[in-house]
Amino acid sequence: MYWEKEFETLERAKLEKLQLERLKNTIRNAGNAPFYKELYQQEGVTADKLKHIDDIRQLPFTTKQDLRNHFPYGFLSRPKQEIIRLHSSSGTTGNPTVIFHNRHDISSWSNLMARSLFCAGIRDTDVFQNICGYGLFTGGLGFQYGIERLGCLSIPAGAGNSLRQIKLMQDYGTTVVHAIPSYLGRLYEVFQAEGLDPRRDTDLRLFVIGAEPHTEEQRQRIEELFGVKAFNSFGLSEMNGPGVAFECSHQAGLHIWEDAYLVEILDPETLEPVPDGEIGELVMTTLDREAMPLVRYRTRDLTRIIPGPCACGRTHARIDRIAGRSDDMFIIKGCNVFPMQVEGVLLKIPEVGSDYLITLENVNGVDEMIVEVEVRKNWFNGDVTRLDRLSRMITQQIRDEVLAKPIVKLVEPGSLPKSEGKAVRVRDNRVLDTVKI
Amino acid sequence: MAYQVSIFLENKTGHFERVTRVLRANKINIRSMTLTHTASGWGILNLLVDQPERAKEALQENGLSAALRQVLVFGMDDHPGGLDEILLQLAQAGLNFLNAYGRVLEDGKKALLIVDVEDYEAALELVAQNDLLPLGDEVVYGN
Repeated sequence: MYWEKEFETLERAKLEKLQLERLKNTIRNAGNAPFYKELYQQEGVTADKLKHIDDIRQLPFTTKQDLRNHFPYGFLSRPKQEIIRLHSSSGTTGNPTVIFHNRHDISSWSNLMARSLFCAGIRDTDVFQNICGYGLFTGGLGFQYGIERLGCLSIPAGAGNSLRQIKLMQDYGTTVVHAIPSYLGRLYEVFQAEGLDPRRDTDLRLFVIGAEPHTEEQRQRIEELFGVKAFNSFGLSEMNGPGVAFECSHQAGLHIWEDAYLVEILDPETLEPVPDGEIGELVMTTLDREAMPLVRYRTRDLTRIIPGPCACGRTHARIDRIAGRSDDMFIIKGCNVFPMQVEGVLLKIPEVGSDYLITLENVNGVDEMIVEVEVRKNWFNGDVTRLDRLSRMITQQIRDEVLAKPIVKLVEPGSLPKSEGKAVRVRDNRVLDTVKI
Repeated sequence: MAYQVSIFLENKTGHFERVTRVLRANKINIRSMTLTHTASGWGILNLLVDQPERAKEALQENGLSAALRQVLVFGMDDHPGGLDEILLQLAQAGLNFLNAYGRVLEDGKKALLIVDVEDYEAALELVAQNDLLPLGDEVVYGN
């Protein structure tokens, strides 16, 4: 059962032919964007030189820094009046990462999203509750449009307020939920506190979990607690958001939609391709995006191609769950956080020093970000309330910056690793099968 | 005009002892103390010592966050009801505390109440208006 059999089961040779054709269009179109126009003129890149999809290896990369440097419109390849939506990363320091969409892009993204949901076994008879922040974050509207395209009854519940989430589930007979995995542990606790058992007291049958690293054990635990099947979703805002790769009913890796994205797995040091099955950095090219094509975008996510075909009959490659990052970004409560963002906030607060330590910890089933900062010696005057206020102010400011609420711990001066040299800024104590390269 | 030494401490094994080690090495005598703890994993140690200025400097030299903090000190009788007597007067004067602790000066005769307030100057004015005179530091730090 496929959403689009003709694309999802396309023979590899034909799929690659389609990719080449779309790649050429993408390169032609990208040439309209100021960034690529200059780059491609300089490097002598033209679409006609591409004879095989492997020829993509001759093209230059695009990085997050490029996106920031050419903020906001340097990557637009279509006139501004054609654009109908933007999604943007959080942050008040430096330029955010912003992605623009025209009508075609929103439609194509919605379709990929519907295809992904269908692939996991969701049908138009389902009642789909999207427990996810709406707004600039792609997980809200991205899913919403896909759910509607598929034809489910959608409940755009938004994030948080667990009691209300449970009430919605009971009132409307929710069968499918999308949420970040670390929230579901918390939600289960609320079920328990209310004397409810989700297996008995709801119609839940399927969860979509993503936007946050988690282990196979965590997935199985969620499945047991709620009596559902939980499916992995992968996406990143630079590639629209959710709907990039999704698990099918075999739960054996995530099908990455190769008619929409050209996928490379490269050694992050040499930038040469690694063989299928080996872990490397995921590098992606949009093949069906008009307003803002990205070519050879370095996602910094580490994963591998799972070799061989899937029993479901789809021919699109499968990637493994994300094994880590080739930079220092981490994900907490569904938010992408760079340590530099936290540092930026702390630098503006004269009461504390510039050294800090971020510890990621699973506290009673919920992932927490603990930020330790040193109180400056000459600011301290013995007043408890003043320290308390400071602690709350820092919490608020970090939250405003990265969108996830931290637990701020004030520590004695000199107790944190010094900023000289390569100080360890992040300790991830969550149980993850991460791989370091 | 009396001072306590306040020290910012993380709630970790051995951190309190780091303070007393410095005081011991500097031959500073502790008269009284309180230790508070917050849910955020840190606390404040308040010490009444015989040489507050020296104590603060020695602690700072050893990397600790120490500050001098003005406190109000009142005398009271060391017998049942003695504390209640002074607290009643302070309450009537409208004084609110952040923290308070005591020390016995002469067993069965005289004791001290040490009071930490949010706004020292305002508190001083308030007690003066009510003829409640805080004690001078020679009484507070002395033997």
